[in-house]
Amino acid sequence: MLTWLLIVGSIYVTILFLLAWRSRRMIRDQRDFLMAGSNIGLVLGFMTFAATLFSTFTLLGMPDFSRTHGVGAWIFLAFSDAGMVFLIVWFGYLLRKRISAKGFNGMSGLLQECYRNRWAGYIYFAGVFIFLIPYVAIQIRGVAIFLVEAFTTTMPVWAWSLLIVVVMLVYSELGGLKAIIYADFMQGTMLMLVVWIIAVSCMRSLGGWSELFRQVEAVNPALLSTPGPKGLLNSQFLIASFLAILMIPVTQPQLSTRLVIMKNTRSMYRMAVAVGTFAMLVIFPTIIIGLYGALRYPDASVSEFLGRVLLHDQAAVVGSAAIIGLFAAAMSTSDSQLFALGNEFRGLLSTNGSRSLLPTRLAIIIFALAALLFSLFSSDQLVLLARISFAGTAMMGPLVILGILSSKPQGAFMIVASGLGLAVFILSQAGILPEMVGTMRMDLLLMIVLTLCAIASYLLRR
Amino acid sequence: MSERTNRRRKTAWRVIAAMALVLVVITFTPLILSPGRIHPGFLSMPYTLWTSILITIILVVLTYAGSRTRNND
Repeated sequence: MLTWLLIVGSIYVTILFLLAWRSRRMIRDQRDFLMAGSNIGLVLGFMTFAATLFSTFTLLGMPDFSRTHGVGAWIFLAFSDAGMVFLIVWFGYLLRKRISAKGFNGMSGLLQECYRNRWAGYIYFAGVFIFLIPYVAIQIRGVAIFLVEAFTTTMPVWAWSLLIVVVMLVYSELGGLKAIIYADFMQGTMLMLVVWIIAVSCMRSLGGWSELFRQVEAVNPALLSTPGPKGLLNSQFLIASFLAILMIPVTQPQLSTRLVIMKNTRSMYRMAVAVGTFAMLVIFPTIIIGLYGALRYPDASVSEFLGRVLLHDQAAVVGSAAIIGLFAAAMSTSDSQLFALGNEFRGLLSTNGSRSLLPTRLAIIIFALAALLFSLFSSDQLVLLARISFAGTAMMGPLVILGILSSKPQGAFMIVASGLGLAVFILSQAGILPEMVGTMRMDLLLMIVLTLCAIASYLLRR
Repeated sequence: MSERTNRRRKTAWRVIAAMALVLVVITFTPLILSPGRIHPGFLSMPYTLWTSILITIILVVLTYAGSRTRNND
């Protein structure tokens, strides 16, 4: 496998740096570096959105999530993604309309302008920083742990993590957002191919499609319905997760940027439909892989299960492609998030944004180092940590939507409410405040309260 | 674009958005989230899986339909 890994890996890295170099030569100004010229067509647009959205948790986290919790994983992710792309049709249009006159300097800068209050941008930036850095960290950690499991005699976790971060920083600093978009295209393609090849291989080894479900029903029927064997996928968890995922393009700057950089609104609409389709096609095989794991490796640890199903049970070339695919997935999501955080930082420096790219470039490097450090200490629960990240940033959703929807400044009420909501959510995750309020989940309660606050603010000021 | 066309497009969007909302609500009811329910199956898939896949496909189709009623640049 090492030979195939070197071959596939070398080809991938070579293409990556060639595209980064090509992108660098096309950079004429800040807009080209930060926003890829805001002229992205349908194919690149939907692949970059999809690749940024579907990170390592798709190939590492979702099979294990399905193995543990069953077919309800489809509602948790694919159905929620379908809701998200529907929202893009509405929100994306409003966002593009709002920024059409003055341009886009990041969501933080836009919120400061909408609310005529600098704290709107600061609260937003604090929320995304607190929840995106750990999300980047768990990408890196997830892949590094997997690689240590796969190649026990080579580098330790921290060395793999460092390698991922260095490669990512080099091509993104070299070619800007365009280089990241090209990397996303490659990653998205690899992800789709690898996940389907592995899923088909798993199915065949069990005797086919019908046999897969028949065996699961015989061994662990709770996997074939909600709430699943561990009772996690109940309606409250799924509703809260749905709302958190729904808010992703609203609150996560790397994805709202991708709505803005599409060459026109029609391309954005088509991109949304393409992403919804991609989501279904990429998540379905992860459920198959998970059910296979429930039959063959029901008691294995996460890393042992993934090492077996992605590497040892596959042909060497497929296993190598899986490893490169995971590398690519970690890099493509992480670089987009770090780049977006750098752009947000730039937007906060002044209302017109800094003229120099140096603060942005330095910020990206610092954020990457913060993520690298965090990755050395974070948990291994990839999907649940990702969900916390989505839920945390979703707290900013009502603040963003209210700001963009309103034609006049909405005052400080919503800014204070969002700040408090964010603080309460963090405290509940830290165990200082409870995660349940009576029978209701804290994150769901906070989203409902913040939404009601936004509606009240809008109606009172109308 | 005429006022009449605009009104029709707005109405169409509202109808599509309402359909999407109904689908979302239905998904979180015991009609779909039915604890322990595996049958009736479809193409060997258990009940929760094939019904939620069907709803997801419809939601993506509604996204396409909705985009056709919206304004462009």
